[in-house]
Amino acid sequence: MGILYLFLVPAIAFSALSAGLVFLFGIGLPWIATHSWGTWAMSIWFTALIKMALLLLGIVLPIASLLTWMERKQSAKMQDRIGPNRAAILGATMWGIPHFIADAVKMIMKEDFVPAKANKFLFSIAPLLAVVPVLVTFAIIPFGSDACTGQLFKVVTDTAACGETIPFQVARLDVGLLFYFAIASLAVYGTTLAGWASYNKWSLLGGLRASSQMMSYEVTMGLAILGAFLVFGTLEPSAIVVAQGPNPIHWGIVSQPLGAILFFTAAVAETKRTPFDLPEGESEVIGYFVEYSGMRFGVFFLAEFMEVIFLAAIMTTIFFGGWQVPGLYADGFHIFGNYNMAHGLVLFLQTAFWGMKIMFFCWFQLMIRWTLPRFRPDQLMRLGWKQLLPASLFNIVLTAAVVLWLESK
Amino acid sequence: MSDLIRLKIDGQELTCEKGVNVLEAAKQIGAPISYFCYHPGLSSPAVCRQCLVEVKGQPKLVPSCYTPVAENMEVLTQSEKVLTARQQMLEFTLANHPVDCPICDKAGECTLQKMYSEWDGSHSRIDMDKKHKPKVKDLGPHIVLDAERCILCTRCIRVCNEVAKDPQLTMAWRGDREQLTTSPGEQLDNPYSINTVDVCPVGALTSKDFRFSMRAWELYTTPSVCTGCATGCSDEIHHAKGEIHRLVPRENPDVNKFWMCDEGRFTYKEVRVRRVAVSQLKGQVASFKSAISTAAKGLLSLIDAKQMQLAGIVLNAQASNEDNYVLAKVARALGIENVYLAGRPDQPDFADDILRKSDRNPNTFGARAIGEWMGKPKTTAQLADDLNRGALKALWMLGDHIALDERAVGALDRLEVAIYQSPHENFISEHVSVLLPASGWAEIDGTVTNFKGITQRLRASVEPPGEARPHHELIAMVAAELGVAIEYPNTKSIFFEMSKTVPAFGHASFGREAPPIQLRFAGSRG
Amino acid sequence: MEPVFKKRVSKATILKLQRKNSFEQSMMLPAVVKGLGVTLRHFFNNVAGGERSEAVTVQYPEEKFPYPPRYRGLHRLMHREDGAVRCVACMCCPTACPAHCITIIPEETGNGNEKRPAVFEIDELRCIVCGLCVEACPCDAIRMDTGAHAHPSENRANAILNKIDLLKNATLNDKDPHSTAIQGGVPAWRDTNKTP
Ligand code: SF4
Ligand code: SF4
Ligand code: SF4
Ligand code: SF4
Ligand code: FES
Repeated sequence: MGILYLFLVPAIAFSALSAGLVFLFGIGLPWIATHSWGTWAMSIWFTALIKMALLLLGIVLPIASLLTWMERKQSAKMQDRIGPNRAAILGATMWGIPHFIADAVKMIMKEDFVPAKANKFLFSIAPLLAVVPVLVTFAIIPFGSDACTGQLFKVVTDTAACGETIPFQVARLDVGLLFYFAIASLAVYGTTLAGWASYNKWSLLGGLRASSQMMSYEVTMGLAILGAFLVFGTLEPSAIVVAQGPNPIHWGIVSQPLGAILFFTAAVAETKRTPFDLPEGESEVIGYFVEYSGMRFGVFFLAEFMEVIFLAAIMTTIFFGGWQVPGLYADGFHIFGNYNMAHGLVLFLQTAFWGMKIMFFCWFQLMIRWTLPRFRPDQLMRLGWKQLLPASLFNIVLTAAVVLWLESK
Repeated sequence: MSDLIRLKIDGQELTCEKGVNVLEAAKQIGAPISYFCYHPGLSSPAVCRQCLVEVKGQPKLVPSCYTPVAENMEVLTQSEKVLTARQQMLEFTLANHPVDCPICDKAGECTLQKMYSEWDGSHSRIDMDKKHKPKVKDLGPHIVLDAERCILCTRCIRVCNEVAKDPQLTMAWRGDREQLTTSPGEQLDNPYSINTVDVCPVGALTSKDFRFSMRAWELYTTPSVCTGCATGCSDEIHHAKGEIHRLVPRENPDVNKFWMCDEGRFTYKEVRVRRVAVSQLKGQVASFKSAISTAAKGLLSLIDAKQMQLAGIVLNAQASNEDNYVLAKVARALGIENVYLAGRPDQPDFADDILRKSDRNPNTFGARAIGEWMGKPKTTAQLADDLNRGALKALWMLGDHIALDERAVGALDRLEVAIYQSPHENFISEHVSVLLPASGWAEIDGTVTNFKGITQRLRASVEPPGEARPHHELIAMVAAELGVAIEYPNTKSIFFEMSKTVPAFGHASFGREAPPIQLRFAGSRG
Repeated sequence: MEPVFKKRVSKATILKLQRKNSFEQSMMLPAVVKGLGVTLRHFFNNVAGGERSEAVTVQYPEEKFPYPPRYRGLHRLMHREDGAVRCVACMCCPTACPAHCITIIPEETGNGNEKRPAVFEIDELRCIVCGLCVEACPCDAIRMDTGAHAHPSENRANAILNKIDLLKNATLNDKDPHSTAIQGGVPAWRDTNKTP
């Protein structure tokens, strides 16, 4: 039962977010913008700021911290245990959910320890270098279709043709996913520097393992997704989502099953979680953040969970139709008959469904993390270079051939 | 030549001198024989029958401790018959033994335990109550008897009769009521009484001093020399965790055989009391460095004034040869010619014709030899005289005993510089300008030479307190500030230099290195 | 399987076997799916709860797992019938103790037992709970059958139990408060039938 609650909480959160966004962008901001003192309200900078704030503070950070609880609870369920069930707010234990608050309090209260000979500056910024790229990449994730300003209660047939729109996406970049690759590969600095700045040979080795692993798998990750680009013909995430449409037959997973699996595998390796957790190896092979304690460690931890969320988001976007709801078109459901709906309601449903998809993939990643044992470094490298890489090249060639053949028809 | 006898033990041929008993002969070839009442330093009464061996041609087993070797004798120490006899004798001995090893001080160095585990090992077959005897019986000022544990070997009685020449112990009653007791109207209070504890093969006799203070197997042993008198009995310092627990005699046929006097055993008690742990300048605690430099400065002013005839050194019979030698060497280098010999005053009532000597210094011989090597050593009486006359301005003294009278000690106050290196505080240390903390005899490596001229080795067993360090190191430090560079990596190098330069030590040996070893690994002393 | 490497080192032979990777193994995915199947089954069973739940967790402070009878708990020093300490300060336990955590200073009692501990301290922080002290004791004077844990303390000094504490611990085991062993004999709780 607790796990249902788990899905309910994000669903409500996502719904609240989308309702807020819909209201804000559909009514609030346009109204402010009509006044001479409020022309800034609809400027791209201000809306982007609002969206980023809502997305990060309203969704990513809460879910990331919730994931710490979820990971413990879910692993317990998988291992015939009970899991956290003690922390309580006013006597309500709520399946142990308050544990994530307790954890946060604990982390903040802990001694902030810096090893005597560590490089203090690098030691301090390494966690930031790990977390900032993840936060930044969220900018390209579309979490709903474009909202048509001032038409919330009307039925809109085509968002592209309704006049002024506000995209439910922080930054609509044409380079889209390239931006993601560029930024995400910066995270390797965080881990490597953390290992190096700790003045500890084990954490240095952990940092080296981390960098070698992340660099190896970045290659596959990029190549695996190339097939999807060929299919959708664009790099821009929101355009990819639109191209997939509300019919699941056209979603990326159908046209690119191999690409999806390869990308998912490589991306899990990027998050450095089991079975690819040899850079950290919490209990056995000492990892790159062994010298970190308190909230500095907490930031690494949080970055890891945000990567989990981001991976879920990117999987959803490219292979699972992003915010698309099966059968829900801009003007309502067209499945087993036509049901027209107000634009606001459609927007709300789409964002909420997007949230559910993300939660599903988070859950799925936790499943994987608690099912598979860790690789050895040689196995890891063999898998990366000898299996995933050729497979992704094969995927590209195959996709290209099929696309060419379809176009030539 | 005709005194050599050839015999066979366990099929092995050997020769030994006439008059030796079979037990000793068997020891030569390492044939194991168990025994209780025999002791190499005592006569053999053959009362315990534990040492029975088979001699070809003899109808009965014979006690090896009492049977002298004979030409062409054939002895079996491991035959079936002998082994059975050994085991049965042990069972007999143990019949009434309380086996309260857990509370027995001898446990761990008990001959009975050792013999039992080597030769018997069977379970008791006695199912009735054991014979009870007094458990805590005061025999004298130093000794307590547990009559139940006594196996009636009479070793202790023989120690009193033959070593102390004072028959204070005897056996009373007969049969299973037989008991050790003091002779009527006597107490076990002769000056060698604690030797009875050493020879007792079991825990029947315990020394009040050591009783219950430490388990034997926890002790570390360091071979050393008793500093109680000029005899210099070889001993072992038994210590644990930086604390000395007892001194026991070490076998040395040239000096003390197997024995040691009670007074000597108690010398360890003085090692740790009234110690000088930090340096003092005129009675005020001072840093080690400043004390050394003050000492050096005082001497330097005399050297600058070319008044070395007003300086003197005091060699001490309480200090080791090496310490005395280094001081003498430095004095020679500085041109000091006044050498005095000091030490504890004679104690005529201490002397006897067994071991004890009236001279209560361990190194009178050595200190005198070094003094003579330097020049013409003067006595302590002459030192007092010179002090009173004001013939001295600087004095460099080794501690700790210097037999000065009150007037002479007062005269120390008037010296320009009086350096006194001593392990202990005493009436002199209050009157000197520089007091340096020195290590005591149990804390240093070095040699002492006894009244016969036999040089023996002192070995460090425990750490010195505070800043204390060996005399020769202190001397070297002061000398370094005076511009006399002497440096020795260890005491051994001093000794070798000394044995080359000082004729009296020409034939002396420094002795082997013997790091402390725990008694449980050193084997039973029984 | 043919070893790819074989070498004899004194009495042992070192073999290195090369496992052949089947296609299925090198694909990994089928195995991953199989593994996921197992974990999913447990996950959903436990989430469903009730009958299907397989969790066996003991809710510690409320529920307690019964310790086995030979569980080595906090030490206790046994009493004699008259309440005096049974220990005779034989020092067998500090000798046996691999952690050097027992400190005993003996004293004379003046009665027939001669010796008893004046100071008996166990540093529970150092103790590795090996039970060798209990084995070593010839008097059945020290036992670890209290079933209690070493108490948590905020101060290292509090973790050092002295003679009084250890004697008080004797009451922790109400089933067996006194030693029935005859002093100097075989403890009653040992198997006496099998003496060789
Ligand atoms: S004398 Fe020896 S055997 Fe007897 S109680 Fe003492 S240690 Fe044990
Ligand atoms: S007290 Fe010791 S030495 Fe004396 S007779 Fe008894 S056992 Fe022998
Ligand atoms: S249980 Fe082991 S470690 Fe603890 S006191 Fe006993 S012997 Fe020492
Ligand atoms: S072993 Fe037993 S009798 Fe001996 S000191 Fe330890 S507790 Fe006391
Ligand atoms: S040793 Fe020979 S009879 Fe005792």
